[in-house]
Amino acid sequence: MTEQTTIMPLDDVRVLDLTHLAAGPFCTRILGDYGADVIKIERRETGDPSRGLPPFYKDEPGTERSGLFMFLNTNKRSVTLDLKSDRGRELVLELARDADVVVESFAPGTMDALGLGYVALKAANPRLVLTSISNYGKTGPYRDYLGMDINLYGMGGNMIGAGDFDHEPVKTAGRMVNYHAGYVAALATSLSLTSVELDGQSEQLDISVFETATHSIDGRLGRLMGYEHNGHLSSRPTRAAAVASGAHPCKDGYFLITGGARFLPNIIRMIGMEELLGKPEYATPAARANPDLIDEFLAHLIPWTLDRTKAELRVEAEKHGVLGGPLNTIEDLLNDESFVAREYFQEIDHPTTGPVKYPGYHFVLHRPDGEDGAEISMPKRRRAPLLGEHTDEVLSGALGLSVGEIERLRADRVI
Amino acid sequence: MTTNGSSGTQKLPLEGLRILDFTVVWAGPYSTMQLADWGAEVIRIESLQHFASTTRGVMARPPVEMVRAQSWLGYPDDDAGERPWNRYSVFNHHGRNKRAITVDMTRPEGQEVFDKLLRISDGVIENNVPVSMERLDVTWERVSAVNPNAVMIRMPAFGLTGSYQNYRTWGNHMEALSGHPLIRTYPDLTPEYAPQGVPADAASGIGAAFAFLLGLRQRRKIGKGVLIEAATAENFVPLLGDFVMDYTMNGRVWTQMGNDHWYLAPHNVYRCQGQDAWVTIAVENEDQWVELCRVMRMESLAGDTRFVDMESRHANRIELDSIIGEWTTNHQAHWVMNRLQQVKVPSGVVMNEKEALEDKHLHERGFWHPLTHPEAGTYQYVNTPWKASKTPNIAPRRHAPRLGEDNEYIYKEVLGFSEDEYRQFEETGHIGMDYDPSVP
Repeated sequence: MTEQTTIMPLDDVRVLDLTHLAAGPFCTRILGDYGADVIKIERRETGDPSRGLPPFYKDEPGTERSGLFMFLNTNKRSVTLDLKSDRGRELVLELARDADVVVESFAPGTMDALGLGYVALKAANPRLVLTSISNYGKTGPYRDYLGMDINLYGMGGNMIGAGDFDHEPVKTAGRMVNYHAGYVAALATSLSLTSVELDGQSEQLDISVFETATHSIDGRLGRLMGYEHNGHLSSRPTRAAAVASGAHPCKDGYFLITGGARFLPNIIRMIGMEELLGKPEYATPAARANPDLIDEFLAHLIPWTLDRTKAELRVEAEKHGVLGGPLNTIEDLLNDESFVAREYFQEIDHPTTGPVKYPGYHFVLHRPDGEDGAEISMPKRRRAPLLGEHTDEVLSGALGLSVGEIERLRADRVI
Repeated sequence: MTTNGSSGTQKLPLEGLRILDFTVVWAGPYSTMQLADWGAEVIRIESLQHFASTTRGVMARPPVEMVRAQSWLGYPDDDAGERPWNRYSVFNHHGRNKRAITVDMTRPEGQEVFDKLLRISDGVIENNVPVSMERLDVTWERVSAVNPNAVMIRMPAFGLTGSYQNYRTWGNHMEALSGHPLIRTYPDLTPEYAPQGVPADAASGIGAAFAFLLGLRQRRKIGKGVLIEAATAENFVPLLGDFVMDYTMNGRVWTQMGNDHWYLAPHNVYRCQGQDAWVTIAVENEDQWVELCRVMRMESLAGDTRFVDMESRHANRIELDSIIGEWTTNHQAHWVMNRLQQVKVPSGVVMNEKEALEDKHLHERGFWHPLTHPEAGTYQYVNTPWKASKTPNIAPRRHAPRLGEDNEYIYKEVLGFSEDEYRQFEETGHIGMDYDPSVP
């Protein structure tokens, strides 16, 4: 059970988690991070399909070996249940009665087909928030379309503008579009909890991954607005889109700099060529917007970056107010001085892996009495549950079922 | 009681909340946009003496050459106009439903205005490097002393502590440091070609809005306000969770994946008929592979030993992608998507802005909503990023505030300054609708 000693904002909220794979579990993982009691319902025997997806610990597959599952399911309790059986469905409705939120990520229509649609859940609990996450939403012509991250980013995100002018558009890394949708779902859920507190009425949320991507200010929203205002379609930038901009080679890798007419003077000062600012072609923002300067200035800049390491360039950029950053690998990130000093990555022990570092909290609450506000007050996360680890605990604790009743459910292959 | 400009009858869940907004660029403003959309009275606090770059434009008065060179950061018809800060498309978008006042907080009377406002507010949101906020004396010590019930969300890129605390970056630099562009860039080109999207900004905006709501819950529990630190880089790293885990569990470092999937193939973007037209196709299982071959009228491919199972297809994906790419070149992207989706193969058009704005699915779901800005004109704005059954279609109600647009309402109605005092603030350069001429 919970070893929580700290007050957390969602520690009075119970979430019944019917989600699987990426977007839904990312949502409930965040709710769990801030104190919610997340009861994850998993399919009997196989569990959440993400248990079958890499990366596996030491590359060996197994129900309790997926790093993806471990990452996405911290702070949750696992109950195995056959949703298609009558008794299983009844148990879900009973759990929903005591829950504040149900989150699900089935294809549209599936919950209704299972007899667990909004009407049934609302009848069980008139103050419930039902958060539904799907690729395209519950309505509209694409409702039944399928979508992997690459498809959803291409349709919704700024893929057409991502990459190089002479090459194909590229996606964002991994499952980012789905994770972002899960994050939006967590925000939506907390807002809806507020709404239910105000009027006592249940609410249904319809979250479309496609729409959360189109809505995203990752350049997509900005470009959509830009197009509306001036009719320019965006295409992928050439390697150096503005003077001094680009990922420039340096001693031990690449360093990204944002230049352009407005920011160039700081870059010029950084490389110690102040005399350029006295020349008419560099003196004013209007002059510096001239695309002919791009190549000319790179001839000054790149020899200078080539002489320095990523770490040295980062310090120089900070010192001169230059917008820039090193192109790190994940290994660089894990060893980065600031992330290390702030103890961002959290070690979590798991029976399969032993202690392993996980990404830290999205944001941290400070201790209310901390004098300078620098004291963080966050509990340690609990590892992802083993399949069905909490079935008995939840059925007896939350539903008050007897040992005999639980045994019978097990014999009937409901749990 | 505050007003949020809502025209509908349905009460919005955040009505009655007042939030002071010191956000800049995109990530912070996107967070207060969420809160304003749902009814909070968000008041942007701006100064006529200081222009926060890339918020109301890259520059207050950009030369025409610059407007043309950076056309995707749009002004109406590429014309920045007399008051460019009121015509910048991105600001006007995320500024909807918010209010804006001007005050120079570097002067004592400006600080007094802030104190008065803070006492009757629920909290503060800012996304600046700590040193900038210290200069204005907007710190947790100050905020909690003036209003012990205030919730404060601070979102500097790398946190309030550590050696990078005053390292000023945008989303793309912070993402570079966090490993994103090096993972997603092209396998066959040097990292100089790395793309620079900023999904981190979007995630920070969502996260900070969520954090503010949690802060309100926490305040109710502990009986006083709370400081929440949402370092945007730390907020972003979980979105790379798969890569972090593969490294910490197995020591594996993924780089330059482009459109490759870890193990699925085909999984790529393919050129279609038309100008810069592309379609994505991803195959998750053998059924989908057979269907794809059938649609391409290349049934024999399904039995080809090079492509017979997922592992072989992944190993031979370059060959496979060129076969599929040859086929797609002869078709329209929308045709490929719809045809493949009919047989349950994941596929999607890489939509440009025009296609997204005209997309029938988004229109049918009420994703867009028109709004008129007095100095910029009428455009389609996005609705909320999800549909809530009790409050559908609520988002864009009032145009983004012009610089200083709500001075009169806040100074006089909310803070109760007299006409004489108001005029005094005007004469001393706190109140106005134009940046000081010295601002570039």
